[in-house]
Amino acid sequence: MTEKDKEVTCKLDEYLDTLPEPEQGMTRRTLLKSGALLGGSALLMSQMEGAFSLLRSAEAAGGSATGEYPLSKATSVIYSVCLQCHTACPIKVKILNGVAVKIDGNPYSENMIPNLNYATPVARAAKIDAKVCPKGQAGVQSLYDPYRIVKVLKRNGPRGANKWKVIPFNTAVDEIVNGGELFASIGENRHVAGLKEIRVMNDPKLSADMAKDAKQVAEGKMKVAEYKARYSAHLDLLIDPEHPDLGPRNNQLLSMWGRIEHGRIELGKRFMYGGFGSQNLIEHTSICEQSHHIAYKEATNQYKDGKWSGGITHMKPDSFNSEFIIFFGTGFVEANFGPPCMAEKVTDGLASGRLKVVVIDPRMSKSASRAWKWLPVKPSTDAALALAMVRWMMENKRYDEKYLLNANKAAAKAGGEPTWSNATHLVKIEKDGPGALLRASDIELGDKDSFVVIAGGNPTAVKADDDKNAVTGDLDYSGELKGIKVKTAFTILKEEAFSKSMAEWSEITGIPVKDIEEVTREFTAHGKKAAVEFYRGPVQHTNGYYNAQAIIALNILIGNTDHKGGMSIGGGHWHEYASGKNKEQFNHEKTQPNKLTAFGHKITREGSHYEKSTLYNGYPAKRPWLPFTSNVYQEALPSAADGYPYGIKALWLHMGSPGLAAPAGHTALQILADVNKIPLFFATDIVLGESSMYADYVFPDTAIWERFGNPHASPDIPLAVSKFRQPVITPLTEVVTVYGEKTHCSYECHRR
Amino acid sequence: MALNEIVRMHEDLERSLKKPVAKRSWIMVIDIRKCVGDHACAVSCMAENVCPPGTSYRKVFETEYKSFPELDRFFMPANCQHCDNPPCMKAANSMGKGAIQKRPDGIVVFDYAKLAKSKKAAEAAKKACPYYSIVEDKGGFYTDGTPVLEPYEIRDFYEYDKKLNRKKGDARGSIRKCTFCLHRLESGMLPACVGTCIGRAMYFGDKNDPVSLVSELLKKEKTWNFKAGLGTNPRVHYIGYEDRTKISVATPASCAACHQ
Repeated sequence: MTEKDKEVTCKLDEYLDTLPEPEQGMTRRTLLKSGALLGGSALLMSQMEGAFSLLRSAEAAGGSATGEYPLSKATSVIYSVCLQCHTACPIKVKILNGVAVKIDGNPYSENMIPNLNYATPVARAAKIDAKVCPKGQAGVQSLYDPYRIVKVLKRNGPRGANKWKVIPFNTAVDEIVNGGELFASIGENRHVAGLKEIRVMNDPKLSADMAKDAKQVAEGKMKVAEYKARYSAHLDLLIDPEHPDLGPRNNQLLSMWGRIEHGRIELGKRFMYGGFGSQNLIEHTSICEQSHHIAYKEATNQYKDGKWSGGITHMKPDSFNSEFIIFFGTGFVEANFGPPCMAEKVTDGLASGRLKVVVIDPRMSKSASRAWKWLPVKPSTDAALALAMVRWMMENKRYDEKYLLNANKAAAKAGGEPTWSNATHLVKIEKDGPGALLRASDIELGDKDSFVVIAGGNPTAVKADDDKNAVTGDLDYSGELKGIKVKTAFTILKEEAFSKSMAEWSEITGIPVKDIEEVTREFTAHGKKAAVEFYRGPVQHTNGYYNAQAIIALNILIGNTDHKGGMSIGGGHWHEYASGKNKEQFNHEKTQPNKLTAFGHKITREGSHYEKSTLYNGYPAKRPWLPFTSNVYQEALPSAADGYPYGIKALWLHMGSPGLAAPAGHTALQILADVNKIPLFFATDIVLGESSMYADYVFPDTAIWERFGNPHASPDIPLAVSKFRQPVITPLTEVVTVYGEKTHCSYECHRR
Repeated sequence: MALNEIVRMHEDLERSLKKPVAKRSWIMVIDIRKCVGDHACAVSCMAENVCPPGTSYRKVFETEYKSFPELDRFFMPANCQHCDNPPCMKAANSMGKGAIQKRPDGIVVFDYAKLAKSKKAAEAAKKACPYYSIVEDKGGFYTDGTPVLEPYEIRDFYEYDKKLNRKKGDARGSIRKCTFCLHRLESGMLPACVGTCIGRAMYFGDKNDPVSLVSELLKKEKTWNFKAGLGTNPRVHYIGYEDRTKISVATPASCAACHQ
């Protein structure tokens, strides 16, 4: 903290001390007027006056009218990282008399193409502004939002009535931790369970033991009675002793995150899992991009040492070098990951004639306006459009056959290909369609870790990662081996693509056959310098995963991954837990003392099999179980309301708004408003949001320009980049004492 | 891909600043093919110049044209063209002498005090501008009617080598427009809109410098001026769209939707 910062803090304290104590029954509006929500201006104005007089005396001494432009000086610049969207662009914030007045892009960063030489003196870099999008620039308006919350608020009327009173931070923490008749003063005669009452399991060894055995029970390997006998002294710790696999009552604290990223994720996980012992930390991913990520992961997973692993969740076209890009349900100007890094690479290509783009989107987007062709596909029919393209490619032999024939790493290497596919691998055909990949052991040809291709008419065992013995297989094969019906992966895709005529696909998608053909012809006319980029458009449907896989198949058919102008995984970043040998040195979760083992099915039943639970009782289950996914945001509140698999006692909502962002958000708000379903509800937010306005307690959070963080780089960045966010102004939130240390109220404070 | 045009333009700028003002000739070049309509330039300009509600020096006009499925969209970034024969200057100065002036480097300068005083001169200038680039500062703030007048609105800002503050009344009641960010140029910075453009559509520099990027673009590319027939001799030059059949550059029909 600099001397100046201290002064600001001190003045903020003084200012806050002058605030009148709010009276009972105050509305949000009157509270605002009283200054409990402080935009920061009063404080800043008092400092600015001092700065003005300095300037005036300097001018009187005979300087020029204005002197050097203040915002051109390095001393006015603090570099940080945006978070107005998850692209998290490096920014340059210009400070004038303690006020963040303008946000530009950081010229040293990867968003400047190419970035400014790191040897450039800061005085020169201060004069060079790099690009940043209008949303990033509007950070000034978010930071100095007149409705920023700067003090802790407690509900002073029914949930959602927007009646609040300011209470001291410590009082709020004590009430939340200890519980009690917290709302007696407004006529709510109910006992609210505090966090202490919820965190009943607090023995690390016991939690580990009970977790291990609860898993055995869930899998049917241990009887409930045996479990109960073994832990007879501790059954009160469980949500339901008849169902040990629901875990301890600690799980009845639910924490939901909207946008949260590295720097906070680690702290949040440490608190919820090892610290509190609750399984219920639910991120927002399912309402964001999850099916896109899972599809990519499954498409890129490698079979190694007996399991599938190592898949990556995201790829982007190498748009610096591409000649043709199809933006499938996304664009390079709106959303995505994100416009500041993507737009220039595309517009450069459009202006020079290097690149042609197609935008597939029901909406005429700004990206579409720059496109050679815009295909307004009917929403959610993306897989049909992709399969129509596959059909045309197969009919016209416009796929990279040589690439697809390579059945393992050695074959790819011999053919000069950086990647290979399993197009030739055989898949078992069950009575209801394609099943698992055929293993060599299934037909007594080899071990169970080998797959099978047809090579020269003969079934041949192949290990995908074998880099010594090159194997190529037949692409199109359908037959029976040792009584097992098999087809190649390529054949399965082909049959699906040929299951409908072009006219039928056209009818489903709303795209004329002529357009499908023209676009596919162009896509297959640039060798490896073509790419299909997709993001949230096709995937945010209940059939999103399948849409994604169909689209990924287009890239695989031309074998463009890791080729110049094709698909790339980006440069990546260095992990915040450090890399290599030192990796675990900074791992908060691993170094946590007295760490509890959180266990039991999550409230969303994500990562759990219904059949492997003691709740199994035939079909259908009361609510869906989601064994293959995680962070199912929209399922958390309805499950809590249904009490399935159990109810919750407390909710901590952070930087997110299920009422606005989750499907059927109005029902989320009804749940949040119900004190019987969510007995205790606290939120960390920078303003009273659509959802946080239903909370019992709202803690002021620091805005992104007031705190630290280390976001990851967009996969569109071809360079390895680690980012560091630092505060650019003193936080506007009140100063509170946590473990004897004064700090501005923020998300981080609540680990007290 | 042309490598780091921003750095190159900075070098161009530094070279020109070593010359006397009269030897500089600032121009702006906008490649509309690369404009993605994200309005970053407009937002940057408003923050840089503390523009209140209803005023914006840089506008990106947007229009949709044709009908589904041939529908298309078009973006047209526009600001004060710093005409060498500025109609606004003639109109205003006939009523208030010296209210609008032309600098030797080409920049058209407004005298806020004079223009705030002579409403007639201001009104005449606004009407005379064929590019709809002149806006009136009506005195309001975006955070009017909220609990606090936020500090970014009442900060000092710098235009035409003057330090201004709207809280103190500066510029309020006057007409305003793009200054080519003169205060930034004089400090060795490109105009705010140029650096922030995510499509890299914006160029700025000295036409008198034969090796500047803008001079090179004027030579290399087919550029055109907006409403060239009026004889205003604008200093903003446009590139693009001659290769697209849907918009004819000579008569940008879609622009007429915004520029009545």
